[in-house]
Amino acid sequence: MNDLRRGFAVAVAIARKDAISELRGRQAAGSTLFFAALVLLLFGFALGPDSQRLAEAAPGLLWLAIVFGGLLTMARLHQLEADDGAFEQLALYPVDRRAIYAGKALAGAAAMLVLGGLLLPVVAILYAIPIGAAWVPLLVAVVLGAIGFAAVGTAYAGLTVRMRAREVMLPLLMLPVVAPLLLAAVKASVAALSGDPLGELGSWLQLLAAFDVIMLVVGAGTYGFLLED
Amino acid sequence: MPQTTIYVAPRLAGTLGTVPPAVATVELARLFGRSAALAGVSLTVEMGRTVALLGPNGAGKTTLLRILATAIRPSYGSLAIDGIDALRDPEQVRGRAVYLSHATGHYDDLTAAENLRFATAMFGWGDREGHAVALEALDTVGLADAAGQRVRTFSAGMRKRLALARILVARPSLLLLDEPHAALDGDGMALVDSLIGLWREAGVTVIVASHQADRVASLADATVRLDGGLLAEVSGPGVVAGPVGASQRPRTAVATVDR
Repeated sequence: MNDLRRGFAVAVAIARKDAISELRGRQAAGSTLFFAALVLLLFGFALGPDSQRLAEAAPGLLWLAIVFGGLLTMARLHQLEADDGAFEQLALYPVDRRAIYAGKALAGAAAMLVLGGLLLPVVAILYAIPIGAAWVPLLVAVVLGAIGFAAVGTAYAGLTVRMRAREVMLPLLMLPVVAPLLLAAVKASVAALSGDPLGELGSWLQLLAAFDVIMLVVGAGTYGFLLED
Repeated sequence: MPQTTIYVAPRLAGTLGTVPPAVATVELARLFGRSAALAGVSLTVEMGRTVALLGPNGAGKTTLLRILATAIRPSYGSLAIDGIDALRDPEQVRGRAVYLSHATGHYDDLTAAENLRFATAMFGWGDREGHAVALEALDTVGLADAAGQRVRTFSAGMRKRLALARILVARPSLLLLDEPHAALDGDGMALVDSLIGLWREAGVTVIVASHQADRVASLADATVRLDGGLLAEVSGPGVVAGPVGASQRPRTAVATVDR
């Protein structure tokens, strides 16, 4: 019980530290949001004024923007550790590696949630989509998607943070793994926005939740090895 | 220097009441590619000793300290810290062996106080006591007035002082200091000397790698000189070149201020 409490305190301290750094490095966080919003805007122009077409493409474009922004966010949260040897220092603290992973994943999920939460209304306004009652299942999809993306992203950012070509390696390694998550998230979003005529929303959300659990367990189990030399 | 509390790890007993050595390495080697930074170092350091680790650039001092701190694994050889097999059980060694490296390991967008509060959480202090311990450590290293300042604005010397403060909030039994005087002004260097004296009085084993041979030799019980990744010279009490068994003579506990 004491170990669990200590692990929780460590995870919260790490997430808090990352959140403060992220909030104070407003330029980086702001540019991520701007980049994601720009993706949505450009696709809006490319697809033209056909509102039917825009509504059909909106779920996919929402997740495309979340993925682009999320990749930058995941890389940045570990870049904080790469500066001035902080990652080695973090590895030398007498704490459970799973707690370090939990803290970094918690910070990543929180950042992804903020990103997703801000992009949702942007999509609704840009593509003129009446979200209406769909906002609850959409938000659930964003929450589950953010957790899964952060679970995978934390592990792979830990793997690539010491690499010279980390900016290239992170998406290369991560995107194939998160493909099922993105598929389920897009399908869940489509179902939510269309009123779920086929009754498949629950299944896609369950798939998202299962993906999250599996990736969190795998990430927590392997992250310790990434911290070793 | 203001009043300073030194925290230390509880002593570990060896078999039959003997005291295990603080450091025991056998044929420790580390390869980087094809070049050997360490080429077979066997060294035993008695608990509570202060050791000056000397040698020219590239001698293997930093590599040895990083292996002792469990930051990197050796390519060959074995290592025990306080009688704990550090290669099999590095988690148990971390926290007992605390390392001050060249890279100070701070977070630039956090203030000095926030960096230190984070360190206290990592070292297992509770919220309230961690706050008090962090403030005292900042005061000790002369950063009390800069506690609310972001580390991004710090000079190299201030960053080093903050790294020293981080060690003060740890509870080590073995301190591994890599060039602790580097980047510091005269007062800062004197502060390091005072702290080494305090850790020594508290019974902490201290290994100091430095190019300031005279300075650290005057602080130390013993001297270990490396050259080309090999032990070139070992002199002074409490340090032996080569593996030896645990000391059969239990040492009297040195007075310490523990929490």
